Amino acid sequence: MTTPVAAFGRGVARTVAWIGALARFSFEAGRATRWFPRAGRRVAVRVLAKQVRFTALQAIPLIVILASILSFLVISQATRELGRLGATELIGRLMVVVIVRELGPLLTALVVAGRSGTAIAAELATNKVMGELNALLGMGIDPLHYLVLPRLGAAILSVFGLIICFDLVAILAGYVAAGSAGMTSARYFDIVLASLTFRDVWLTAAKGLAFGVIIGIVPAYHGLAIRGSPTEVPVASSQAVMGSILVIFVCSGLFVALLT
Amino acid sequence: MTESVLRFEDVVIPGTPNPLSLEVPDHQAVLITGPEASGVDALPAIALRLRRPARGRVFLFGEPIDALSPRAVLAFRRKVGYLPAGDGLLHNLSLHENVALPLRFGSDLSEHAIQGRLQVMLALLRIADAADRRPAEATEEQRRRAALARALAFDPKLLILADPFDGLTAKTAAELFEISRGGETGEGSRRAVFMTAQFVPERLETRIEYRYRLTSGTLQPVL
Repeated sequence: MTTPVAAFGRGVARTVAWIGALARFSFEAGRATRWFPRAGRRVAVRVLAKQVRFTALQAIPLIVILASILSFLVISQATRELGRLGATELIGRLMVVVIVRELGPLLTALVVAGRSGTAIAAELATNKVMGELNALLGMGIDPLHYLVLPRLGAAILSVFGLIICFDLVAILAGYVAAGSAGMTSARYFDIVLASLTFRDVWLTAAKGLAFGVIIGIVPAYHGLAIRGSPTEVPVASSQAVMGSILVIFVCSGLFVALLT
Repeated sequence: MTESVLRFEDVVIPGTPNPLSLEVPDHQAVLITGPEASGVDALPAIALRLRRPARGRVFLFGEPIDALSPRAVLAFRRKVGYLPAGDGLLHNLSLHENVALPLRFGSDLSEHAIQGRLQVMLALLRIADAADRRPAEATEEQRRRAALARALAFDPKLLILADPFDGLTAKTAAELFEISRGGETGEGSRRAVFMTAQFVPERLETRIEYRYRLTSGTLQPVL
């Protein structure tokens, strides 16, 4: 009788411990920014640029395909259905709220978490297994400065940039869909732009920042949390993606619950 | 003995019973050998506070390293050259970039000056031809040479080497040891070296001023 209760309790305790460890790791990473060595900034910028190339630039084709297909499907269906009701002006709000503000950031974050979150966790875990972390510390280099903060910065910049890319492509694909259903370009852009408020823009930007931080922190934590056995590397990658996706959804829910 | 650059004071290695005390004098080489179970492998990491001893204190250049803040410890470690067991090279960087990393991260030297220093180090360690290779593409000897070049990048006063000659020929080991000591043999010009190993080639032993063997938690001089 006590077994399910005990298992539930253990699960809750593990989750609380995980949240606490993540919070502590985030705090340490944040604190490490205060004493980043001046000479090390140039190296960190190089690492950041390399990460942006992998995380953002190489992900653009996938983001373009996803944004185009999603937007085309939603807007072409909506134009047809809303047209029957004589409410085609709602397409603007649909585009802004559903695609630009909600699905754009969410899908972009999921893509980046899947692509780059695994890579970050696997790379940092491998660094630890190969003794590279101790070597860095032995040289007087804080792994937070060399490994974590550049990846965190790159994740924030990449998610932010990819969300802008997703939203622009989605708006253009929506235009193609609406046009194929008989709507003129002038009317389409009128109703979309009329529906776009400053609040939508800053909410999207805030999500980009939040999701970027999650994708920078959660995989880095899981990568560095291993004890040092090679068999832990794939486990860390898997946990990093699961953890990132979970936190992204919770964060997205909090945005909707608290700020909209 | 002259002034010590590294001092272990009643240090108990985790998992071993007895405390050990030891000094590494300036300009001298100290070697500790011992079986794996003796905990000898942990001493370099303890010296740099990468690991904590179960008990006791470590003084580096006269400073108790356990009393320093984490930030101060990082700055302090830049005064010491460290070659970890294996090689500790970063596998996503070339050998050249690995050697450059501590200079780029921990010094205010211009890129031009760093490149100059790198050319000297790569030539001295005879790895200029392999400098563009990643560690996975280099031989074990080239990796060890690059790791030593990286440890010597700041021209440190003290070099800490963990199992530095494991898997190398006696000739290469002797060459790397001479480079570690700092070349010239004039009095006072040689670098202090603290080494731990399970085994060192016989021809090297006579060149090391202080040799000890750690067994069952007891440190005994080798005569």
